Amino acid sequence: MSRAARSLSAALLLAALPACVTGSYDRVHLQEPVREADLAGLAPGVAAFGDCLQRLGAPWRVLEYDVDQDGNSGAALLWTWRDASGWGIQAEYGDDTLSGSLSYDAVAAEQPACVLWFDHRLVLQRWRFGTAGDLLPRRQRPAPFADAAEPAR
Amino acid sequence: MLRPYLLLLALLAGCAFGRQDVNEPILAADLRAFAPGKTSAAEVVAKLGAPTEVVQLGRRSAYRYDATRTKSTILFLGLVNFANQDARQDRVWLFFDDKDVLLHYGATLSTHRTQYALPWEDVHEAEDHAARDAARAESGR
Repeated sequence: MSRAARSLSAALLLAALPACVTGSYDRVHLQEPVREADLAGLAPGVAAFGDCLQRLGAPWRVLEYDVDQDGNSGAALLWTWRDASGWGIQAEYGDDTLSGSLSYDAVAAEQPACVLWFDHRLVLQRWRFGTAGDLLPRRQRPAPFADAAEPAR
Repeated sequence: MLRPYLLLLALLAGCAFGRQDVNEPILAADLRAFAPGKTSAAEVVAKLGAPTEVVQLGRRSAYRYDATRTKSTILFLGLVNFANQDARQDRVWLFFDDKDVLLHYGATLSTHRTQYALPWEDVHEAEDHAARDAARAESGR
């Protein structure tokens, strides 16, 4: 390696040492996964709520589902987990007038999930694997409210 | 010429371990006391305290209790860092009818399965779980 190349390498190394640019390899293990094999024997139209809970354990979330006018409701149970790894990179810059950072995290990918839907009698209707974002209901804006002092906007 | 910088880089290496617990672990013995068709929501609350979440399911309701343990390991090598995070929960959902009598409950108890590890290590193998489950059962927790 030439003297100039070595000097340049050293300068780059020194510039990066204050953590202006860092790379990382991250792995996350979150919660117990549900596999398709775990659902074997849980037949739609037959499997009871209690049997599914016994087989799969406690879900991550429970959601009201298919509410009728008499107030009867089914239920949707969602399990989600993650076991993922990947490289990420973070770049930061700052001085008295300007600061900023940029990061890329390959681990923060879509999170796998499984949902089981139950009817009003709490009998399994269907199940589906996918990502939590796809399976959960869309986020809704808070409903506007009104009180005596201020009309609804 | 690069040697001093490499030495400096080596001196910057380090590692960190972190553990975070949210809520008390749930006791299996407490859950065994609950009988579907008999236990009331008031009895559950008397035993486990205030739930983390209550969900209305039409005329029914569901209570969630949970505890989370997270173990983090980070290896700092200056320019490149290696990190591993392992999180598991004790989680119970209890479902009540319109008279607040327990219908069903589902439990996952796995805070004891969290491990410190580096990202290339395999954790959560069946043998690991069996040993840790046995140790928890033996301890009565």
